[in-house]
Amino acid sequence: MILIFLLISIIDYSNFSHATQKHKGECKTCHVVPSKKWSKFPDIVDYPDHAACVNCHRSQFFKGARPPICSVCHSKTSPRDDVRYAFRNPASERQFTIEFPHDKHQDVIARLFTPQKRIDLAHAQQNFNNCTICHASQTKTFKAAPSDHSSCFNCHWKSQQPVAANCNGCHKLAKPYTAATAPTRISIKFVHEGGGEKANHVLECTSCHINITKSASLRGLKPDVPITACTECHNKDGLRQDVSKELAAIDKDRAFACVYCHATDVGSRDAPASHYLIAERPPLKRKDIK
Amino acid sequence: MKLALTLVLLLLLLPQTPTGVLRIRVRVKADDAAPLRGLARKRFFLIPGTLEQNRALIDAIERQPLVTRDCYYSKLNASPALIDWLKTGDCESVYCREVEQEFIKAVPEFAAAFAASQKEFGGDDTARKWVTTNLDPEIRDGFYRNRQTAISTLLKQSVVPALSVMTDRNGTAYFTDLAPGTYVLTNLVPTELGQTAISWNCEVQVKQGDLATEKPYLVSNRKDRLVKCVGVEKPIPACN
Repeated sequence: MILIFLLISIIDYSNFSHATQKHKGECKTCHVVPSKKWSKFPDIVDYPDHAACVNCHRSQFFKGARPPICSVCHSKTSPRDDVRYAFRNPASERQFTIEFPHDKHQDVIARLFTPQKRIDLAHAQQNFNNCTICHASQTKTFKAAPSDHSSCFNCHWKSQQPVAANCNGCHKLAKPYTAATAPTRISIKFVHEGGGEKANHVLECTSCHINITKSASLRGLKPDVPITACTECHNKDGLRQDVSKELAAIDKDRAFACVYCHATDVGSRDAPASHYLIAERPPLKRKDIK
Repeated sequence: MKLALTLVLLLLLLPQTPTGVLRIRVRVKADDAAPLRGLARKRFFLIPGTLEQNRALIDAIERQPLVTRDCYYSKLNASPALIDWLKTGDCESVYCREVEQEFIKAVPEFAAAFAASQKEFGGDDTARKWVTTNLDPEIRDGFYRNRQTAISTLLKQSVVPALSVMTDRNGTAYFTDLAPGTYVLTNLVPTELGQTAISWNCEVQVKQGDLATEKPYLVSNRKDRLVKCVGVEKPIPACN
């Protein structure tokens, strides 16, 4: 009895975990789909109501003037204030990973298209489906990743599994983690909407991201653009020799940083063997250059 | 000189790159008068083993009945406007195109789903963008699901997991991280092209350290000295 009392007294009720056994029930036990105050489209935009917590946590709800349990959802713990954190709280660690099979989604969005529409492909304002349904342009350089359910529920709302109420179809409980805010970029100077006057970079996404159509999961997904995707234009006889030129510059000065595509930190490393292969030269390490 | 250098480079790379890459390029002709064009956005499969080792699978591929998209939707009594909308984009489901306002009016199935969506979601924009959520599941993606079931059933014949990739708009696709050896390249389900359906089942060798920086492995429905894999064409069967 004393032990139970001690255990309860050391539990940090300001830290909510979906991994707690009693929190592992059906999602709809607490989360209402959609939330009462959805605006642009039906979505889960708010925390569960008090009823979801109070059934089990009545004693924690009425513990002192500022019960720690309130701070899970409320930015101010006061009976006179119901202001809550944004849902989900961006400052909290993530408790779920997302299961997203790119291969299946590539299959269903696949369609024939004509070369005349090519320029439309990478732009958010387009009239047919491709990767930009979910990955709209964030800036001229970067594509965005989905941050809400808008690009999920338009298909998976109610009859296409996993439907909106089947949270577990996409969200898998995981050890708490802090998600990266942006993907790691090797060729940070690449501009998705660039490529000169003809906007040659505005291709179909899978022409360069060659492994996306086989990816059944987000796990292990990595930047998968092979150097050949770049050198079709950037290292071709009679066109440009951007790779060969920079490799030649390393020959003259081993401290040379390749900055045509890379930031200095990446551009100061040894060039990978694939780059030397493209330039039809044997690979070299900077330390071996005199 | 160039060949010798390439060989030297490959030898240098061998210890670091035990796997290989297969770059395929699929180019087809709908008929003799048509130009060769890249076969865009079609899924191809790579199955470890020789054709002989995969004989049971190849036999199953050849035995499977082909239900065309037109036949599938005609059997469902889908409107000609919907069948045409799918055909224009060579779509296997309604998800492959955004349903624009003009098609909400022109395609009866979309019109009915849009009316239901208006009631459910209020605003016209959400109702249009979410129109597929109120379509009958068979109309929505029944054909695609049937194809996936057929593919899954066929793949059960293979003892080793198959790899798959989809071609891009030029008909190019890459299989990466391949263990060296012999594979069967197949599309499993025949690809409709004009009045014919094409099946590809070819043996491919993947060499250690091959990064596919040279010419791609050419796949076509027409014979040519450069084409490594020629498909077998059959007339599209009539609808039952």
